[in-house]
Amino acid sequence: MSPEKPVADVIRSEHAREEGDHHAPGTFVLVLVLLFTFAVYYFANWKALADVWQVR
Amino acid sequence: MTTGTIDIGLAPGDASRGAAAPQKPAGNHPAGALRTCDTTGLPVCLVAQQFIKLHAVVAVVFLLVGGIAAILLALTRWPAVHLLPAEWYYRILTLHGLNMLIFWILFFEVAILYFASTSLLNSRLASKGVAWAGFALMLVGALMVDVTILQGKADVLMTSYVPLRGDPLFYLGIILVAVGTLTGVFNFFATLWIAKRDRTYEGSMPLVTFGALAAGIIATVTLLHGAIVAIPTFLWSLDLMHQPDAAWYRLVWWGLGHQSQQVNVTAMVSVWYFLATITTGAKPLNQAVCRGAFVLYILFINLASAHHLLVDPGVNAGWKIWNTSYAMYLAVLASMIHGFTVPASVEVAMRKKGFTKGLFGWLAAAPWKNPGFSAFFLSLAIFGFIGGITGVTLGTEQINIIAHNTLRIPGHFHATVVGGTTLAFMGLTYYVVPLIFQREYRARAVARLQPYIFAAGIVLMSMGMSFAGSYGVPRRHWDIEFTGAQFSHGFDPGAHVMLGLLGLGGTLAFVGLLTFILLTVTAVFFGPSNKGRAMTAW
Repeated sequence: MSPEKPVADVIRSEHAREEGDHHAPGTFVLVLVLLFTFAVYYFANWKALADVWQVR
Repeated sequence: MTTGTIDIGLAPGDASRGAAAPQKPAGNHPAGALRTCDTTGLPVCLVAQQFIKLHAVVAVVFLLVGGIAAILLALTRWPAVHLLPAEWYYRILTLHGLNMLIFWILFFEVAILYFASTSLLNSRLASKGVAWAGFALMLVGALMVDVTILQGKADVLMTSYVPLRGDPLFYLGIILVAVGTLTGVFNFFATLWIAKRDRTYEGSMPLVTFGALAAGIIATVTLLHGAIVAIPTFLWSLDLMHQPDAAWYRLVWWGLGHQSQQVNVTAMVSVWYFLATITTGAKPLNQAVCRGAFVLYILFINLASAHHLLVDPGVNAGWKIWNTSYAMYLAVLASMIHGFTVPASVEVAMRKKGFTKGLFGWLAAAPWKNPGFSAFFLSLAIFGFIGGITGVTLGTEQINIIAHNTLRIPGHFHATVVGGTTLAFMGLTYYVVPLIFQREYRARAVARLQPYIFAAGIVLMSMGMSFAGSYGVPRRHWDIEFTGAQFSHGFDPGAHVMLGLLGLGGTLAFVGLLTFILLTVTAVFFGPSNKGRAMTAW
C-alpha cells in the first residue's frame, strides 16, 4: 500500500481542504437507494393503515 | 503493514503529502504523565488512560450481563422454545434493558469522552479525583440496580412506569448512575475548558471531540430529566410522598429514556468519524455541515422523544404532531447528513488512494478484513437502512397507531442501538485494546469474522421482530398464546415464522457478542504486549 501518515497528523489537518474533497458519486447513489427504500416502506405503511382504518 | 504507524493510505502523489503537518502545540501534561502512541502519534494522558481502561472493562462486563439476559429473552419470545417462566421473563427483561441500554453504553461513552478530550486535544484530564468519584458512583449504582432486580424486588421493566413500584434501592441505584455519569461528563467539560485555556490545540477542536461535546450536552439534559423523575419516585418508594402523577411520569421519563439513546447516537456518529479516519485515513467532508448536524441533535432531539407518547391520552394531538412531525424531522435531518458525510469521506479517501474504478470500486477495495472498519460500516448501514427508515415511519403519528406496543418497536430500536451503537463501539474496541491497553488480539481470523456474525444476527432478529410486530404480536409479552385462557387467541402462522427468526437471529447475535467478549477479555489479560512499537495492523 502507500506510504503512511500518522492519524494524529490527519486529525490536526482535518480542516485543510484539498482538491477532490467532495467527489463522492458512489455515496450519492447509496443515498438514493436509501431514499427509495424509505419511500417504499413509508407508503407501504400508509397502505397498511388504510387497510385497517377505512375512511368512507 | 506492521511497522511505524497505521497505514491510512494516502496515494502516492497525493496533494496533501507535500503539505507540512501543522505544528503540534505543547500540551499541559505534568512531567511523566504522558506517552505518545506509537501507532497513531496521538498523545495519551496516562491518568485518562487509566480511566478509559476502567470504564471500558466495566462496560464490557455489563455487556455480558445484558447479553446473557438477551439470549434468555430471545429464547422465551420464540414460542417453540418459551424458555423462562413469566416471573423471570419480566425480571430478565428489566435486567436486559438497563444493562444494555444504560450501563454498557454509559460506561463506554464516558471512556470515549475522556479519550476525545485528552488525546485529541493534547490535554491532561481535568481531575483524577472527580474521575474516581464519578466512576465509583456509576459502579455502585449499577450494581445496586442489578442486585435489586435479581432479588426480584424491581420487576418493573426499564421504564418502571408508575404505579409499578420497585424497591427504593432500585431507584437509588439509578440516581447514583445518573449522578456518576454527570460527574464524568462535567470532568469532560472541565478538560475541554483547561485545554482551551492552556492552548493545547490550535483552531477549532477536532470534529470527533465536537461530536463528543454534543453527546455530553445531550447527556446533561438527559440526566437532569432522570433526576427530576427518579428522585420523587424514589421518595414515593420510601412512602415519603404521594405517588407521582402517571402521565407526568411518562412525559418526563422519556426525556431520560429517549434522550439517553440520542447520547448513544451522537457518540456513535463521533465513533464513525474516528473509525473512518483510523481505518481509511478519511477526513470529514465538510466541517461546517458536520458540526451543524451535531447542533441539530442538541436542539431537537429532546422534542423528538414525544414519539414515545403518540398514543398517550395525557397529551394532545397538536403537541404530538409538532414534536414528532417537525422537531423530530430536524433531528432526523442531522442523521441523514452524517449518513451521507461519513461514507462520502471514506469514498473520497479511498479514491485518493487510487481506487477510482466505477461507482463502487472504492467500497469493494475498502478494508473489509479490518474489524474496526467492517463493524463501523455495517453499523452505518444497519442504523440507516433498518433503524432509520423504521424509526421515521413509526414516529409518524397516524402510522404509529398500527405499530405501537407491537414487536415492531423493539425491531426498530435493536437496529439503532445494537446494530448501530453497540456494533460501532465493538469496532472501536478493536483499536482501544491495542492502542490504550497496549495489548494485541489473539485469534485474529475470528476477530475479523466477529462483526459479520453479530451484524447478521442482529439483522435477522430485528427483521423477525419487525415482521412479527406487523402481524400484531405485542412487545413485552411473555406468552402470546395466552395458554390456559378461557378464550383461545392465536396469531397467523407467519407470525410464528418471524418469531422463530427472532430466536435464531438472537442466538446468532449472542454467539457474535460472546465471541467479541472472549476475544477482548483474552486480549486485555493475556494478549501479547505491543509497548514500544506500533500495533499490528488489522
